[in-house]
Order: sequence, then C-alpha cells, then structure tokens
Amino acid sequence: MIKTYDVIKDNYDDAGYASRDIKLTLKMFGIDPKVLKRISIACYEAEINLVIHSNGGIITFELDDDGITHLSFDDTGPGIPNIEMALTPGYSTASTKAREFGFGAGMGLDNMKTCATTFNIKSSSEGTHLKMSFQ
Amino acid sequence: MKPVIQCLDSKCHHCIKCLQACPMDAISIVNQKVNIDENKCIHCDVCIKECPSRVLKVKNVHLRETLHLHEYNVVLIPTSLLSDFKSYEEFQKTCQTIKDLGFDEVVQYSDIEGYLYKKAIEESQKNDGIWLTSFCPTINLLIEKKYPTLYDRLLPYDYPVEIAAKKIRERLKNKDISIYSLCECVGKMSLAKEPFGNTESAIDYAISISHVFPKINKLNSDKKYPIDINKYGVKSNVADLFGNRSLSVITIEGLNQSKNILDLIEFDRIQHLDLISMYACYQGCIGGYFLWNNPFEGCYNIEGMVNDCTCETISLKEEEYHLDRKLNTSDMKTMKERMVWFQKVNEILDMLPQYDCGACGFANCRSLAQNIVEEQASIDSCRVIKR
Repeated sequence: MIKTYDVIKDNYDDAGYASRDIKLTLKMFGIDPKVLKRISIACYEAEINLVIHSNGGIITFELDDDGITHLSFDDTGPGIPNIEMALTPGYSTASTKAREFGFGAGMGLDNMKTCATTFNIKSSSEGTHLKMSFQ
Repeated sequence: MKPVIQCLDSKCHHCIKCLQACPMDAISIVNQKVNIDENKCIHCDVCIKECPSRVLKVKNVHLRETLHLHEYNVVLIPTSLLSDFKSYEEFQKTCQTIKDLGFDEVVQYSDIEGYLYKKAIEESQKNDGIWLTSFCPTINLLIEKKYPTLYDRLLPYDYPVEIAAKKIRERLKNKDISIYSLCECVGKMSLAKEPFGNTESAIDYAISISHVFPKINKLNSDKKYPIDINKYGVKSNVADLFGNRSLSVITIEGLNQSKNILDLIEFDRIQHLDLISMYACYQGCIGGYFLWNNPFEGCYNIEGMVNDCTCETISLKEEEYHLDRKLNTSDMKTMKERMVWFQKVNEILDMLPQYDCGACGFANCRSLAQNIVEEQASIDSCRVIKR
C-alpha cells in the first residue's frame, strides 16, 4: 500500500500529522514494536525537518508485500549545502523560531541514519530527496 | 477472563453512543446486541458514563453470598476513599462501619503505595530515559494494547493492592481467609479473582464502593476504627499532589491527555523527564467512577487531611513488588499472513464510504472492514451503501 502526505513550510500546527497517521497505519497492520519504534522516531524527525528547513514537500509511505516499510521525503529546495556536516551530531541550522518550539537540536539526520536499515540522501538546490527503509 | 462491563439488554435502545465513545473500538452492536470485546477493552469507564439508558454495568459480588464461605474475612480499602470525607474522624468511623458489614479486619495499603511512589521517583532518576508508572490498570492496558513500543518503559512494579493481599496471606497463612478489595474504579475491579475470573490474583473478591454505600449509610457507626494512612500513599492517589516534588516528574490526567503524551514519547519528542505518572481519571484515583464525591472537592478534602496521615513508610523487599512484564505476542500471525489480511481489509475499506458513522454497529469503517474479512459481518450492514 502507498500513501502520500503534503508537508507545508513553517506549518507548525500540523507538524507531525503524517508521522502520526503512518504510525497508526503500521499499528493496525500489527508490525513488530521494535521496528515501529525506529520508524516513528525517524519519520517524525524527517517530517519536522521538512517543516523547518525546506520549502515544503511530499512524504511517501509504502508498505511492500514483504512487510518492509519505505519512506521517502522529497522537497523542493533549498537543499542541504553540506550533507556531511549535516550528518554530524549537534550541528544545526535551525532558526530561533524552531528552537523556541523545542526543535532543532542538531541530532536529526544522524538519528535517522541510526534508526533506518537503509539510508539514502541526495541534495541539490532544487531539492533534497531522502529515502529510508526499515526491516 | 470474563467481560468486565456488561450490557443488560432489556432496556438498551441500540443508540450507538457507547461504540462511538469507546477509545479502543471494543464495542459493536450486532443483531441488536451490544458486544464488548474483552481482548480490546481496557476497563475505562467511558461507555458506562456515556450510556443514556444506563444499561452498561459492572458486576459485583454480593456479600451475603460469600462472607460465610470463609472463617476470616479481610477487606482492603483504597486510599482514595479518604477524598470522600470532610474529616479524618469521619473516615475512621466509616472504616468501622465497613468492618461492621461482616468483615473481621480492615486493612489499608497506603504505606505500600507510598513506598512504591518514592521508589518510582528514585529509580527513574537513577536509570536512563523516561519511565512510566504502573498504578493505573487502565493505563497499563492502554500501553499494552495501543503503545506496545513503550511497554518496556513501564516500571516493573506490581499493583499495591496486589502486594497488600499477598502480605496478608503471608501473615495469616494458618487461617482460612478470604480477601476483599473495595474498589474506586472499574480497572481495579478487574484485578481480583471474582467476579471476573482473574485467576492469578491474590485478591478473592472485588466490590465497588457504590455497591456497599447504601449499607454503610444505614449502619453508620459511632466508633472509630484505628486506621492510619501514609502521607505518600495519599499523594500517589491524587494527581495534583504527585508531581510537585521535582521538575523531572510529571502527572497526566485523563485518557486523551495520556494518549497525547504516549504519542509524543513514541516519537522520542519528550526529553529531560524521568517519570511520567498517568491516570485514566481526572485528578487521579480520587476521580474513580465509584466514588461519590466530585474529584475537585475530593482534592480539597484530602489537602486538609494530609497532616492527619501519620503512618510510617514501610520498606519492601524487591521480590515482594517486582513484576516481570512480558508483552503477549503469541497470537501474532506471521508477516505474510498479516500482509494478506491487511490488504484484504484495505480493499474492503476502499469500498466503504469512510464516514465512520457507526450506523452499521461497528465503531468505524475500518472495524467493519476487519469484521467482513473475518466473516463476522457482511458489506450489506453498511447503511450508506444500501441507500
């Protein structure tokens, strides 16, 4: 099954909605709690990243026939200038506004990479494409 | 286990208020009969409160049928009972009245609650990560059934009432005894052996406070029963008093708020906290369904009595309170089976209108789809499609 969600830039009111829905769907499917935990954390982190840093984008959630979860996050810019730097724990470019909400501790990408089974990120000024899968 | 909440069919109007209110989608109405799925029910009191015909009830044990079965009868009284009285003297008199109902001994377990309350805060600060407390049976079931990822974050403590019952059995092991638990809420009722068949419990019978209240009112003793309550035990029962010891301990009241916080913990969004204590009822245990006082007034009453609670805190051995929890995964199907089932459910769900109106007798369209896949219902039940 495939589901897609739109994420709007700076919309903090609805931030986390997609992650909640994905989590609920996976619970109804009856996924292993240990895997679900990793998916929840990574998915939420990535969704919040889209809200804070990107110009908005789309989340695609797919549960394939083998029960493997695939998540892709595709935004329309502005892109990550230095991915290696962004993967360093503690490195953050979040705005003060985001930090006031308690986001932007700089652990995001590193955290996602730890949670996911496969982790793939490509970025240019046209947009960032992040693909993760969980097993 | 037998179903805890039952429907007296005769007066049921088959409105769908209960199934819409149920937080777990446990209720369905098929062939004009209300079914409560015990595997989904978390023994909260939402449906009982919602029912306009007042037909949803919790079964009680009748004292006159059971008291003569054993030589020595002990009753455990909940600490939250205190909230229903204006003064400590009144409370002691009521304890005497409860004894006069035919019991040989009245026992409180606030000292055990107090010990576990302190222990919970201590341990959670010592160990990494967020811990959840386990005094509320409803919240424990909610976590087990809806938030299995957090099940290992529950502190591994047994229920205080259960520990108290075991201690009494140890103390009076030469006597033929039976242990009753007076309950302030539906969740606690489900812990005992009777009336719901929880065979592993050390408590024999559960009775609700409102069930014995008319008799208490009639007997009304003038004598005071020498009973002493522990201050920290009281605090663990009242949400208002629990958290204000330290900033790393917070209390959450109500099922919806508890669900919100559990959602956030699953996303790893809650940090800098050691312990979260959750209650399904507002204001904590003093908001229990079977207590007759308003919980806000109850909180006021209790604050006036805290200084009268002079019972010393006891100390328990680890084997007395430790409980190994294991998530029951035995009925989990294999990944392939679940995938096939899930796809079938989703196919049927796509055919349904997805208004979640409840007119078919199931809580929402997904529940109906699941029941169609399990061949418990047919797609004709959907009134929107039929029209």
